[in-house]
Amino acid sequence: MKVVTGVVGNDIHVVANRLMDLSLNARGYEVFNLGVNTYLEEFFDAAVETGAEILLISSLNGEAEGWSREVKLLKAKYKTLDNLVMMIGGNLTVGSGSAQDIVPKYKNYGFDLVCHQVDLNTGLDMLEAFMQERNAQ
Amino acid sequence: MSLLQEEREIILGNEFVDAFDFDEVTEFVKGASKDLFISHHFSKKQKMLVQPRGGFPTYEKQFALYEYFVDANVDVLPLTIDSNTRLNDYGTAKKMLRLSEENEMDMLNGYPLVNHGYRTTRKMMTHFNRPVSLRHGTPDARLLIETAIASGIFEIEGGPITYLLPYSKNFPLDKAFLYWKYVERVCANYSQLNEPINRESFGPLTATLVPPSITIVIQLLEMMLSLEEGVKSFSVSFAQQGSMIQDIVTGAVLKKLAKYYAGKIDCADAAIHLVYHQWMGAFPMNKDSAEQLINMSTVIASMVGADKIITKTREEASGIPTKEANAKTVANTQYTLRILNGLPSVVDEEEEEILTQEVHAIMEAVFNDCADTLWRKVFNCIKNGIIDVPFSPHIINHNNMITIRDTNKNIRIIDRGNVPIPDNCYAYEKSQCDLNKDTTGIVNDIIHDIGIMQ
Repeated sequence: MKVVTGVVGNDIHVVANRLMDLSLNARGYEVFNLGVNTYLEEFFDAAVETGAEILLISSLNGEAEGWSREVKLLKAKYKTLDNLVMMIGGNLTVGSGSAQDIVPKYKNYGFDLVCHQVDLNTGLDMLEAFMQERNAQ
Repeated sequence: MSLLQEEREIILGNEFVDAFDFDEVTEFVKGASKDLFISHHFSKKQKMLVQPRGGFPTYEKQFALYEYFVDANVDVLPLTIDSNTRLNDYGTAKKMLRLSEENEMDMLNGYPLVNHGYRTTRKMMTHFNRPVSLRHGTPDARLLIETAIASGIFEIEGGPITYLLPYSKNFPLDKAFLYWKYVERVCANYSQLNEPINRESFGPLTATLVPPSITIVIQLLEMMLSLEEGVKSFSVSFAQQGSMIQDIVTGAVLKKLAKYYAGKIDCADAAIHLVYHQWMGAFPMNKDSAEQLINMSTVIASMVGADKIITKTREEASGIPTKEANAKTVANTQYTLRILNGLPSVVDEEEEEILTQEVHAIMEAVFNDCADTLWRKVFNCIKNGIIDVPFSPHIINHNNMITIRDTNKNIRIIDRGNVPIPDNCYAYEKSQCDLNKDTTGIVNDIIHDIGIMQ
């Protein structure tokens, strides 16, 4: 399965991005890692170019909120992305906030899977379960 | 007029520069107090020099910070530059400086040197009459270093590799080499007028599991690129790695090979110094623990035999430190240095031999590249992964090397990627680690190894 991943916005936190790349590869995904400092258009362009089934956006410095508001609007401009599985993870707010408030908000923004301060492997297990269920349907 | 001088006039004709007077600046450097030159202090070799970090937007706040540092008996003052200036965005820096001056809030994370200008800044530097080190992170530092030297700042940190690979995703590396060539030549020319201007490389890189062989190779290459342009005083550096013996071995090999490679390009007359950075990785939130860590770094710097130590503060984990906390670290570090007497001399010949072989092998691969100049060889080697910096965000970096810590917390290479680590060294590195783990286990180890000091 093909995955496009990267860190959204003017965020240069690279460590988790590399570890995600390693972990996704180890789980058998074909990874297209756009790295840090990536804009939404670049993610969607890459999803079209690679034919990826999953887009996994990460964010650490609190920028995700600002960018995510534009996800639905921008995605609608692409004709072939309706089946793209959208996942976001990391630290999804500036300051502190609880997952209870944050998860529904991001689901509203158009994400299928939202991981706020969830450990890497737990998050990837969630993705695997989600994909299995989806493919079974 | 030389090509360099023509380029200088274009750079200094920038709209944000207030009439740069070349002749006046030359006269100033010629007659400047020796105390302003860190190279002069290095040559006296009295003690390990202590230098904090710090930069505030306004002249008044920077001045107040220096007063605190001087009270704490600082050896070298820092001038940390704000991030707009680092990206050559002097317009935004100007606006934010005005806002900082008119309000109580700091709107910049450092001192916007170009906007303050050299006439103003020089008053502060000559008032304190201590050596000042320019700390920035700028790929194109041409205007910045001209302003710095004209202000009486005679140590310039950075380099085309160490100020790019840890900080930028896509600034072109070849441009960075050419911009830094300008910096080296300007420093070299000014060095003929008085004591030499000191150049310092930024050894910590990403400060995340970078193996000593990669750190040393990049230090040596930036040193050579600087010396070949005529710089006569250069500091190689590295940051605390997490294992005392690995730091001691790294320091010994770095010193030995810096001398060797300077001689190889007929620059043995240049003075080479060693700088040690206190822990640059993730810091403990607990401020008392942070102080213990800082204190231990000072002990290791002494074991390593550093000529200068760059300090952190107890507030590292929480943001930009107050001037009080910053000055406290300086006083504490000076105290530790004063009471550290009778240090043993520790040598690990086997580790030194392995590390030396690794560095020579990578250096040989760089020299064997078919390009015609050193900077092009280095450029090609970064591009093809012969030099690979773990956790660099830059698109040119390969990211194929994987490192973890062994049981003694030494950083070991378990996947060399395209880096020509000799087979015997590679086997030795891997033999120190438990490799019977799957990738999930290794990723968990890496997360743990990055956070060892927390």
